[in-house]
Parts: sequence; structure tokens; C-alpha cells
Amino acid sequence: MLKILIPTLMLIPTTWLTSAKWLWPTTLAHSLLIALASLSWLKNLSETGWTSLNLYMATDPLSTPLLVLTCWLLPLMILASQNHTTTEPINRQRMYITLLTSLQIFLILAFGATEMIMFYVMFEATLIPTLFLITRWGNQAERLNAGTYFLFYTLAGSLPLLVALLLLQNSTGTLSLLTLQFSGPTILTSFADKLWWAGCLLAFLVKMPLYGVHLWLPKAHVEAPIAGSMVLAAVLLKLGGYGMMRILPMLEPLTKELSYPFIIFALWGVIMTGSICLRQTDLKSLIAYSSVGHMGLVVGGILIQTPWGLTGALILMIAHGLTSSALFCLANTNYERTHSRTMALARGLQMALPLMTTWWFIASLANLALPPLPNLMAELMIITSLFNWSWWTLALTGTGTLITAGYSLYMFLMTQRGPLPTHIIALEPSHSREHLLVALHLLPLILLILKPELIWGWTA
Amino acid sequence: MVNFVALAREHWVNILVPMGFVIGWYFDRQQDQRLTAFRNKSALFGRELKPGEEVTWK
Amino acid sequence: MNPIVSCTLLITLGLGTTITFASSHWFLAWMGLEINTLAILPLMAQHHHPRATEATLKYFLTQATAASTLLFATTTNAWLNGQWDIQHMTHPLPITLFTIALALKIGLAPLHIWLPEVLQGLDLVTGLIMSTWQKLAPFALLLQIYPANSTLLIMLGLASTLIGGWGGLNQTQLRKILAYSSIAHLGWMILVLQFSPALTLLTLFLYIIMTFSTFLVFHLNNATNINTLATTWTKTPALTALTPLLLLSLGGLPPLSGFMPKWLILQELTKQDLALTATLAALTALLSLYFYLRLSYALALTMFPNNPSGTSPWRLQSPQIMYPLALSITAALTLLPLTPTVTALMMP
Repeated sequence: MLKILIPTLMLIPTTWLTSAKWLWPTTLAHSLLIALASLSWLKNLSETGWTSLNLYMATDPLSTPLLVLTCWLLPLMILASQNHTTTEPINRQRMYITLLTSLQIFLILAFGATEMIMFYVMFEATLIPTLFLITRWGNQAERLNAGTYFLFYTLAGSLPLLVALLLLQNSTGTLSLLTLQFSGPTILTSFADKLWWAGCLLAFLVKMPLYGVHLWLPKAHVEAPIAGSMVLAAVLLKLGGYGMMRILPMLEPLTKELSYPFIIFALWGVIMTGSICLRQTDLKSLIAYSSVGHMGLVVGGILIQTPWGLTGALILMIAHGLTSSALFCLANTNYERTHSRTMALARGLQMALPLMTTWWFIASLANLALPPLPNLMAELMIITSLFNWSWWTLALTGTGTLITAGYSLYMFLMTQRGPLPTHIIALEPSHSREHLLVALHLLPLILLILKPELIWGWTA
Repeated sequence: MVNFVALAREHWVNILVPMGFVIGWYFDRQQDQRLTAFRNKSALFGRELKPGEEVTWK
Repeated sequence: MNPIVSCTLLITLGLGTTITFASSHWFLAWMGLEINTLAILPLMAQHHHPRATEATLKYFLTQATAASTLLFATTTNAWLNGQWDIQHMTHPLPITLFTIALALKIGLAPLHIWLPEVLQGLDLVTGLIMSTWQKLAPFALLLQIYPANSTLLIMLGLASTLIGGWGGLNQTQLRKILAYSSIAHLGWMILVLQFSPALTLLTLFLYIIMTFSTFLVFHLNNATNINTLATTWTKTPALTALTPLLLLSLGGLPPLSGFMPKWLILQELTKQDLALTATLAALTALLSLYFYLRLSYALALTMFPNNPSGTSPWRLQSPQIMYPLALSITAALTLLPLTPTVTALMMP
């Protein structure tokens, strides 16, 4: 664990001490090195599932894919931010990279924690860098509103979680994740226990976000700079799913009944957000709403609590992390050229940036879950386990899948096909940096087709 | 002739992250050994390792 | 003000608090509080400004009321119990009276109305003394009388966190915002007073560290309202990067020091089966967080355009002494990992 954490910490002095000329290459190379070193976590020979143990941290098949995704995303964020920060003074560029690095440190500590309170503290600690990323580095004045929404939605959900965790600590005596599954079944009958159940889950449902408490997400995505959108979509939302998977074994007898409305709400959200996407004019907002839809499936898969559901949820989290982050990068390449997120203003880009169209094509297909991409595998597993629970869910999940395909096609056709409007004829050609950036998103996704057991979780 | 002094002065920061990796790796290893020692004391799991066998509970 | 006079006043200020600290007799404790009040009045009125005079008068009246209630409580106590010892309080009536008198003295809701008005009339250094040093003596007494009347304290605490958050929401004056922030923090301290006095003390210390840093930052920038904060980045860029963190620490966001007292207090409250109170207190902290966030927005997270000569003051050497601020801001941001050590020190 420390062999990744300490180099990440050392990345901060490196950022500040390296010369201005070498700032971006150095940080990029070193963060990529850290990401490559983090791949060693995937080799898990342990009998108990837990590996890389130390006193406070460990990884297991559930947290490893998310940890590797976190480490993988830092170089990509650095790569993506290089262009739009060139006009800033050098010290602000250093500050920006420091912010991104600190986010990775907190995320590693959150996913690696073996104690619920430690996880909680780090879960909250990611708020501050993300808040600064959105409100300090966003472009429009609305970013302040977005920052407030982001902070208060998340905190209003997670403060009851702290109290609920402390109550659990008082009754069980420990919150260690290593032994949590062995604790005896708790008897939960009173109304207060049901409130406690909701308190334990609400923070994560807001973070996911569940449809209904999702309003902060499109705002935050639209206003954040590219690195902020990437890390939000790829990793921060997954904190919610990860937390739910960790805490659900403790809520055992109650979840069976109490989770019904949440499952229905999540599935209803898939359809609603999909429909919103179908008539969306703002490119980044479309991708953000599609994230809400996919996360709805994840919520359904987790709450159903069958092995297939949990596995599908984990695979979808990883696959969606890479896909939506890639889509945000592509949207940003458009934004840096046309300075507008409106899709109607940047149509027919295939004529101007043909190779980019290929990336758009692959990313759109991944978003609509084309076989044999991991996205499809995940959606199939979740839909199957939901179908097993109740046949009626097929009406919701099936429609949802159809609408997802519809808006992905809409997004692709709108941005890439058709005649090129005359006002964007003189576009800057795409950089190899941008191609590398998208390739580093999509190649892992494609390669995961060959070895999906890396992101299967416990079902090995 | 490469000017090593100038090179070292400009690029010495590149040593920080690899150094962090080495330190972290060292601490991880120490921790592993401590946990292994504890585990070998338990009646259930303690056993002699075959020569050349890797520990499986790192 | 003449340095000799101000020196004398400051020493007397310290003397009053020290007498209260050291006393075991109620009468002496009361005298210490009075000396303390009398010493700060000239300091408050040192600038001949109508607002300062108004603030001094308001402070004098409230403190006199509080002190006379206290004196009444001590005599009642002596009448009922036949002794003046601080640590041997048994009868609930004087204990309740003491609690109310001290709540008025430190400005707990619903006895808080004077505090924002008074603080608004002071300059930032006197305001700093008012919201840190002046809280010590009343808390020294509160910690000693073991108030057992749980409903009263919890009501005072919850009302303070709620009103401290609510009142600050639509303020634009920094000193008023800090006054409401002070009310909210005092509410947290009172909330846990009967369960763990050591925790109250820890919260008080951290509150003092954070408030000290905040006042010094505002003093450094000569800022008394939110608009003035917008030019901070042209004066002290590095401090501008840290101040939002300081404000969020006051708001109690992990992983900053300000989270430590909130966390420990919530833990203590859940241990006492007061989960509902804990949740309410935690949610009222969100109200306070809103105005800290607003300050951070104006201070650092938006950069207002300025002309070239307006953006250069940071190049000039500042004559102010920065070491105390550097120390306190470090403590105000990074103490959370030391929580086990701190709790071990405070709660043996």
C-alpha cells in the first residue's frame, strides 16, 4: 500500500521543485509510473481476499480495481489539463497539479481504508479538493452555485452517516472491514433502526447519485474543468457504490424490504435521465445525465445483493469510469476549439477532425454497451439479477437500455455526422496529446474484454 | 561531453518519486514480515514454508 | 492610546482571568470576572467612534447583568448550602442560575443578541480578544460547576448551533459573521459539557486557535466586510490559498483540525444515546458552513479583475509580524491526524 501512497505524496514536492520547462512532462511521467506500479495490486494470491495489509489499509478484489482506476486517472487528468492551463502563471499550474495529486492521495486512502470511520473521513476529505477544482478552476460564474450544490448535497447526506456509523461502533465495538462480515446479525425492528438504515445508505446514494438527489451532478460536471469532470465521473461517483457494497452486509435483515423503493427509484431514474439526455443540447450535461442513468443500474445491482448483481455493479463502475471519462475528454477537445458546449454549434466534426470521429465512435459504442465490451457484460449481469428478482424490472431496464442506445446515437450523429457548418471550418487540428489521452482511456477498456476477472470482484 | 553537474542540477527532482517508491516498498515489506511472524504463531495457520515458497498472505 | 495605559489594561485583563482561574471561592471568581470586564471596557472604547461607544455600552450592560445574576446565584448558593465553594455545588437552583448567567456572559443563544452588535463595533484586535480570551474565564467556571441539568444545556447548545448558523447566513460584515460563528462553536462546547468537560476544553482550544488565525488574516488584509476580501489575492497570495482551508476548518470539514472536536462530540453524544441531538447538531453545522463557504468564494475561489497596479501589492514587503499567524494556521489545518495524541492528553 505504502509503495503507491508514498510516491504519490512525493509527487507534490516534485511538482514544486521541478523547473517550469519540465513541469508537465515530469509530473505526467511520474504519475504514469505510479499508475503502472499500482497494477501490481491486481496480483492477489491471498486466501482471505485481503492483500497489501498494513495497520490501517489493505486491498481486496473489490477495492483493487477502483484503486487502480484512481491511479490510472491522475496521469490522464494531467494530460488533459495541459492545454487549458497554459495561460496561467507557473505557480498556479503547480497549484493545480498539487490539487489533483492531493485528490488521488485522499482517494487511495478512502478505497484502501480498512476501517469505516477512516473511509468516512477520507470520503469527506475528497470534497475539499473537488470543491476547489470546481469553484476555483471552472469557467463560468455559475460554478459557485455548482460548488455549493455539490458540497451541501453531499454533506447533508453524509453527516447522518457519521452519526449512524458512530452508533454502529457503539453497538458492535469495531468498524473494521476485515471482521465486519463475521459480526453477528443485529436485531433491527424499531422505527429508529429503519432511520438508522437510511442514514447508513443515504450518503452513498447521494454520492452515486440516485435519481432524485442527483441535481448536484450535472451542475458540477458542466462547470468543472476537464480534470474535475473526469475525476468526478470516473472515481468520485464510485466512492458511493464502493461504500454501499461495504456497508450493506451490516444492514442485512432490513435491506430486504427497505430497499424496494430505492431499487424502483434507481431504475425509474435510468429511464428519466435517458429521456433527459434525448433532448439535451449541452454536450457535457448529456454525458453527466448519462452517468446518472448508468449509476442507477449500479444502485439496482448493489441493492439486489446477489453475487451477480454485485459483480455487475463493480464491472459497470469500472467500465463506466473509463467510458464517461473518455467522453468528457472528447467533449473537452471540442470545447477547447469552439469554446461552446452546445452541440448544435459544433456539428459535422468528422469533416474537420476525422481521427477524432473514430474515438467518438468507440466511446459512444462503449456508452451504449456494445458487445463484447465490459459495459455490456456488466449491464447483462445487472439486468439478469434484477430480472431474477422480479420480472417487471425488465420493462424498466429494457426501455432504459433502448434509450441509452438512442441518446448515444444522437450524441454521435449530432457531433460528428452531417455537413460542417461554415463558422467552424478553421479548426485547429487534433493534437497527438489528445489522441494519446483518449487512447489511454479506451485501450484498457478494450483490453479488459480479454481478462474481465480483474474487475470481477469477489466472484472469482 | 555531457555536463553531468548541470544535468544533475536540473533533473535531481526526478529522484523523489522513485525514492518514495523504494521507501514505501521497504515499509510494506517490513509490515509483511511483522504480520507473517504473527500468523506463524497461530495454531491454525502456522506451518513450515517449503524452501523457496512465497508467503501467500502478503 | 498611551502605551503605559494600554499595557496596564492588558495586564489587568490577564489578572482578572487568572483570578477567576485560581479561585475556589465564588466571591473571588466573581471579582475576577468583574476586573476582567472593567479592564476591557477602555480597550473597546479606545477609538472615539459612535459604534465603538455603543458596543462598549452594550457590553458593559450585558456583562453587568450577567455578573449581578452570578452574584445573586452565589448568595443564593451560600444561603441554601452555607458555603461558597465552587466545586461543591449541590442545589439545582443556583446551578441553573449560574449556567444562565455564564451563558449570557459568553453569548449563548437565546442570550446572544448582544454579541454580534458588540463585535461589530470593535476593531479586529479587540474583537480577537473579545472572542477568544474573554471566553476563558466563564468556561473555567462552567467546567467546574458540573451542571447536571441536561435539558437546559442541550437546549442552549442546540439553539446556539442553530442560531449561530442561521444568523450568519445573510451577513456581509466579517465581524458579525465571526460573532455568529463564535455562537455556533460555543453551542457545540455546551452541548457536550455535562458528558465530557475535557472535550469542551479541547473544543474551546481548537476554536481559539482557529478564530485567532481568522482574525489575524482579516487584520492583515484590513478587511471588515466581504467585498474587501476580494482583493486579498493581490496582497498575500500564499495566505489566500490557505485561508479557504482555514474557513472550512472552522466549518468542521475533514481532514482539517476543525473536524476533530465535532467528531469527538458526536461520538460522545451517540454514546449517551442522544443520536437525534447529534444528528440535529451535525445538520446545523451545515448552516455555518454555508457562510464560511461564501467567504471562501469571495476570498480565493473567484478572482476579481483588477488593474495592473492593483494586482501588485504582494511585491511590497509587509511590515507585519507573521510568525504567530503561521503557527496558528498550521495548527488550525493539520491537527486531525494527531487526534489520538490530543485525546490522550486531554482525557487521561
